[in-house]
Amino acid sequence: MTGRRVLFRQGTVLKTIVLALLVVLIVLPLIRTVLVTLQPDAIDAWSDVLVGRLSHNLFYRPLVNTLILGVGVSVGCVLIGGYLAWLVVMTNMPLRRTIGVMATLPFMIPSFATALAWGTLFRNDRVGGQVGFIQGLGVDVPDVLAWGMLPSLIVLTLHYSSLAFTVIAAALATVNSDLVEAAQLTGAKGVRVVLGIILPVTTPALVSAASLCFAGAVSNFAAPALLGLPVRMQTLSTRLFGMIEVGQTARGYVIGIMLVLVSALFLWLGNRVISGRRSYATITGKGGRAKRFDLRGAKWPLFGIAAVILLVATVVPIVVLVASSLAPSSAQLFGNWTSHYWLGQSSPSIAQGTPGIAYNPDIVRALIVTLGLGCAVAVAGMAVGLLSAYTVARHRTGWASATITQISFLPLLVPGIAFGAAYIAYLGAPIGPLPALYGTFALLVIAATAYLLPFAVQTGRAVIQQVSGELEESARLTGASFLRRLAEITVPLAIRGLVAGGLLVFVKIVRDLSLVVLLFTPTMPVLSVLAYRYASEGFTQFANAVAVVILALSIAMTLIAQRLQAKSQPWLKN
Amino acid sequence: MLELRNLSKSFGDFQAVKSVSLSVPDGAFLTLLGPSGCGKTTLLRMLAGLELASQGQIVFDGQLVSDGDKSWSVDPAKRNSGLVFQSYALWPHMSVRGNVEWPLKVARVDKSVRDQRVAEVLALLNIAELADRYPNEISGGQQQRVAIARTIAPKPKVLLFDEPLSNLDAKLRVEMRTELMRLHRATGATTVYVTHDQIEAMTMASHVAVMKDGRVEQFGQPDDLIRVPETAFVATFVGTPPNNLVPVSPGPDGPVVRGRPIGLRPPVEGPCFAMYRPEALRLDDQNADRTLTMELVEASRIAGRTMVTMVDGDMRLTAIVDQPPTAEIGDSVRVVLPERPTCWFDDMGRRVGTDRTGAG
Repeated sequence: MTGRRVLFRQGTVLKTIVLALLVVLIVLPLIRTVLVTLQPDAIDAWSDVLVGRLSHNLFYRPLVNTLILGVGVSVGCVLIGGYLAWLVVMTNMPLRRTIGVMATLPFMIPSFATALAWGTLFRNDRVGGQVGFIQGLGVDVPDVLAWGMLPSLIVLTLHYSSLAFTVIAAALATVNSDLVEAAQLTGAKGVRVVLGIILPVTTPALVSAASLCFAGAVSNFAAPALLGLPVRMQTLSTRLFGMIEVGQTARGYVIGIMLVLVSALFLWLGNRVISGRRSYATITGKGGRAKRFDLRGAKWPLFGIAAVILLVATVVPIVVLVASSLAPSSAQLFGNWTSHYWLGQSSPSIAQGTPGIAYNPDIVRALIVTLGLGCAVAVAGMAVGLLSAYTVARHRTGWASATITQISFLPLLVPGIAFGAAYIAYLGAPIGPLPALYGTFALLVIAATAYLLPFAVQTGRAVIQQVSGELEESARLTGASFLRRLAEITVPLAIRGLVAGGLLVFVKIVRDLSLVVLLFTPTMPVLSVLAYRYASEGFTQFANAVAVVILALSIAMTLIAQRLQAKSQPWLKN
Repeated sequence: MLELRNLSKSFGDFQAVKSVSLSVPDGAFLTLLGPSGCGKTTLLRMLAGLELASQGQIVFDGQLVSDGDKSWSVDPAKRNSGLVFQSYALWPHMSVRGNVEWPLKVARVDKSVRDQRVAEVLALLNIAELADRYPNEISGGQQQRVAIARTIAPKPKVLLFDEPLSNLDAKLRVEMRTELMRLHRATGATTVYVTHDQIEAMTMASHVAVMKDGRVEQFGQPDDLIRVPETAFVATFVGTPPNNLVPVSPGPDGPVVRGRPIGLRPPVEGPCFAMYRPEALRLDDQNADRTLTMELVEASRIAGRTMVTMVDGDMRLTAIVDQPPTAEIGDSVRVVLPERPTCWFDDMGRRVGTDRTGAG
């Protein structure tokens, strides 16, 4: 019997590898960005942005706009998401199931698609170009509804409300019906039970929903860029984009760092509020057969409100985008339909000779790049995610595991556009013998993998937790190597979850705009940026047609993923 | 021989196993018995090689397999040992045959030998007809058999069991107990068996180590534990029903039990415990010497005799008597203690005095 000296504790090698990988993918880009702004020729950017003559325009006005967006969206989302979640989980509203499924849909529609749809409907003649459908009907659309803050707020609220719904519904579903019944036995009536029991118990979920929506809204690029930029409404993310576009990279990085700080601050505050109080987690193995509130006469009116909100958030944008991709003029969405924007050859009379998307080499190339990117990132992301999750799950103790968890969730604090900027700072120029990666497919894949790692790790964790540690230990006892165990035990057992996770990563990157908008180059185009470019140039139909392609891709993939996961939605079970 | 020398294991500040030393001969059936959290499973996992000892050595068959002092360990797979998990840990994506065959594949056993061995162990455990089923298609008891078949297929010299019967219902548990003992005789493998069920431990084992808080309270043959318990914990943990401990404290006029003088002569000053076997206690209506008045709380027939349980405050005594008591549940009864208890324990639970006879 030959032994070997165990130089390291179990898992040390694995932990070291994963930690190194995460440092290279996530920590170094962020540090590098900060360092770049501290170079002698760039350090002035800090004073320019924060205290200089231009600081008002460069930073403070965008900051105020960003905060208004963040606060407005998080309040709106908690109200809408909370309302829907309460109806679906706690009441006997008709068609609860349908509403529950519909409420998760808006998040599948990329925010730039919703913003494009908004423009198609409400655009007025203030900045020239085609007017929208409503103006076309002869109604004068006021500027405040067509451009700037209000439409951005509405679009983002509709988009992020399904995030709030998911978080709040999950929390409500864990409220044991005993809790409610105990309150009812004391004689408390419906409203009293909601305010006295359910609201306090779900406060942590409400706070975390609010802070997630806040972080999403402040870092969103698409909506303010499409609806705000034409009328010079700047947020931190559009400012950051603008600075990098015009070559003032140092200032851009400083704004990016400030954006990270703002978004992180609020996520941290949210966490503080939650962790300051006792956790009310009431998940028990007992069947959560909640007795539902009887809405009686209010049933249908409450259902009506929910249905209208969801129609506006899901069906309307999709219908508008599809119609617009067929109609020569946004003003007449439902007339003179043509397939030119999809299948037409180049014709000088339409859209300056841009051919329909099936024959448009730019779009076809972008489609190929985007699909390739999606697949590459799905595979790379799930591989790194699984490895990190595995390491942390099987070797829970020690500072290294805690650090791995912390780092892997770090990108959540970094808005996509700031992350993109960081990767330009990191890999945009040659490092030692390594060539500059700017404009390459590799850069897109690496940056996107790092950016989506929190999601991949979380999925990986859920998957690993399904595979009991003993299954793997019993394989280890037979002498099977780490890779063999992974390949023959862990992965086969987790394959559905992994594929589902991979598909969702695919969807997330295919419809992402904020990360790739800075990494985009004409040689390496992706669909979402192309749609954004077309929209900025006034080629509404092409923008919308591309958006429809992305929409179809992401909805199809999401549905497949959900089917695979047999995603448990306990609040829908009866 | 299986030998543990000063074996310890810490997780951070928590010491799960504290300096355990014991040895059993080849072919022994050793049970590690103790309440949950006593370190018995950690000890087993060190034997399997899933945990590295913090200190101390493990020797299988005269060969060192793990040395915590030098952070040295033989790979789990090279110890010639096999572990049956409490949860069975069957790989759900493999059939019964697949589960049993896979360890042999990993060990690069030839296909023909493999097939033969798989058939052999499936037959040994009476599950040949389940070969093509998947784990979720068979019952808990059958899963248990598959787990055992998978473990013994590579013919380990040391077999390790982690509470293997705890997930089975009472009847099946008794059957599997017999089955495991048959298997032990058939394979001749040294077996280490972790359980919190003292009946399992006492019926199956050739050697028992009673553990508490990471230490071995007593190590010996089942009979020794019953006859000469070394600590108060062992005295009350093993045996069916377990022994009775009567708290005796010094009073102004000699020793008292719950405030009342009693004619006992403890071997130590200070508070201590007198141990009585259930069969040594009598119920008597007469007010004799060494009589305690207690409330009758349970009475049940057992094999022609009657087991009665009485309480007085937090003292709980169980007696096995020939005649059922005439008193009703809830009535007062008088319990007569024999003149000499079987043995004494001091207030730390250590055995004191010289009385080492097992006479009850």
